[in-house]
Amino acid sequence: MKRAQQGTTRLVIGVTKEISKHIFLIVMALVSIYPVIWVVSTAFSPGQNLATGWHLVLWIFPIPNSPTLAQFQFLFNPKLISFSLWAKNSLIITLSTVVASLAVVLPAGYCLSRRVFPGRSSIMFSFLLPTMFPGVVTIIPLFLIYAHFHLVNTYLGLIIAYTVGSLSLSIFIMKNAFDGVPKDLDEAAKIDGASDIRVFWQILLPLTLPSIATVALWAFMGAWLDFALAHVMLENNNLWTLPLALYSFITATSVEYGTFSALSLLMAIPVFIVFMLFQKYLVTGLTAGSVKG
Amino acid sequence: MANPTEKNKDLRKILGQVARNKTAYLYVLPGLVGLIFLVLYPFAFDIWISFTNWNVYHNSRLGNLAYVGFKNYLLVFLNPTYGFVKISENTALWTIGCVLPTVALGLFLAIILNSKIHGKGIYRMFLIVPWAMPSFITLLVWRGMLDYEFGIVNKVLVEFFGPKSRVDWLGDPHYAFLSMVVANIWLGYPFMIIIFSGALQGIPNELYEAAAIDGAVGWREIRYIIVPLLKPTLLIAILLGSIWTFNNFNAGFLLTGGGPGISTSIFIVQAYNLAFMLFNFSESATYAFIAFLILATVGILWFRYTGVIGGGKKESQ
Repeated sequence: MKRAQQGTTRLVIGVTKEISKHIFLIVMALVSIYPVIWVVSTAFSPGQNLATGWHLVLWIFPIPNSPTLAQFQFLFNPKLISFSLWAKNSLIITLSTVVASLAVVLPAGYCLSRRVFPGRSSIMFSFLLPTMFPGVVTIIPLFLIYAHFHLVNTYLGLIIAYTVGSLSLSIFIMKNAFDGVPKDLDEAAKIDGASDIRVFWQILLPLTLPSIATVALWAFMGAWLDFALAHVMLENNNLWTLPLALYSFITATSVEYGTFSALSLLMAIPVFIVFMLFQKYLVTGLTAGSVKG
Repeated sequence: MANPTEKNKDLRKILGQVARNKTAYLYVLPGLVGLIFLVLYPFAFDIWISFTNWNVYHNSRLGNLAYVGFKNYLLVFLNPTYGFVKISENTALWTIGCVLPTVALGLFLAIILNSKIHGKGIYRMFLIVPWAMPSFITLLVWRGMLDYEFGIVNKVLVEFFGPKSRVDWLGDPHYAFLSMVVANIWLGYPFMIIIFSGALQGIPNELYEAAAIDGAVGWREIRYIIVPLLKPTLLIAILLGSIWTFNNFNAGFLLTGGGPGISTSIFIVQAYNLAFMLFNFSESATYAFIAFLILATVGILWFRYTGVIGGGKKESQ
């Protein structure tokens, strides 16, 4: 009798625990996605000032009164704003950064992983250094240097800066990835007469594709989403990138949260999808092999 | 003491090695050149600016730039109108106030997600959304949600507690700081969940079972099994989290811009505002360099006392 009672008590405790875990997880999941819910409903509501066009469902969820695509149509209306121009600027800068970053990172990662040469570890350490510098420490002198070399208000200046900015992490991701490919494979291929370059293209690259994609993604995000540097370097609004445009919608004289939300979604969705696909590799890279996953 | 011939020999040896590893150096060269011209040189330049009087009235274009020694540092440290104490307090509070809750929340969520529970995959997917969304965008979204007049947070408050419950989230210094911290915790915990989940999966199940037999369940399990075993991961997470938070320009700038006044300003935001709002480059450089010194000191002490290296070297566990 007593034992049965104990059994039920334990069961009740177990169930309560399980339920409280679920409640906590549900609350945290809601907190996590709430801003996204807000952006989506603002993007599909008419009007700009946030106060109208939607109502609260279940006390906390904003739902548009009459869902509309007006905000998106406004963005794509060529007469009103220069969305297509800004998107083009962003694309040119971002894609160039990705290509430049891969061109620098792949050989460097390869050689730090496969070659032994004097100064190797100090070179590796120096690539890590920038992670310790507050970004602004270099932005200010960089602006003065760029002004001197007429690189302010140019794509090239930004592309170079973003490429270098992506190096610290990317070189480590690639070095770790190449380290993960057994050296026996290279040696076997070399015995069969393959050159170093062939080993690199035909063995190492295909085996490290996920990491290469991660490096590309990292460079892409650095350039696509940068605000601080672009804010300083691009004074001419014909050269603006999307983040500057986005910022201007809510800080200019008129606050246009509707347009802001629509543009946010357009900018964030591609990043979100790719990010979800590659998150595993990004974590490995970000912690640079120090944390075993 | 090396005599000239020995010196020559050394030099020849070095040159020989460089020649032998020509391709290796060639491969790392572009990255190194970029690093030197865009990171190290600007950094040195920044230190130099902090010893000059570079501002709107004195600069290289006007040709009246002068070396002023430690004047900027003395002014920042000794002149109370520069707000150095306030900004240091803010930065310390900001870093600790963001990192500790972020790590704790991330660890706690990772532990729950690691237990036997239904719907893990779905919860996980929702929980990492803040990390997958670009922080530049979500911070501006937070700014919209916290708007005094139109923001949804105040709307919901009014819904529940009546019209007098509005809070000036970004205009009142204390609430503004709180808003920044909360938004940054929101941005940070998903990453912690991910790295702690990875580390938790490395703990063998038998260990939990053996511990459970010895009575270590619930909080005790966390205290005596999980935390000690996760120590290396925890130390790395705290270090990385602190560096990122200390340097997080977006989170410090996009919500409040450091204001009202300097009430929510942290080092990095102050350096930015001084340079690009007031064009006082030398004072900005002074702030930036002080910030770097603080971070470097804390980082080195952290390395020394915990023995954790942030990257490159694999930890042998």
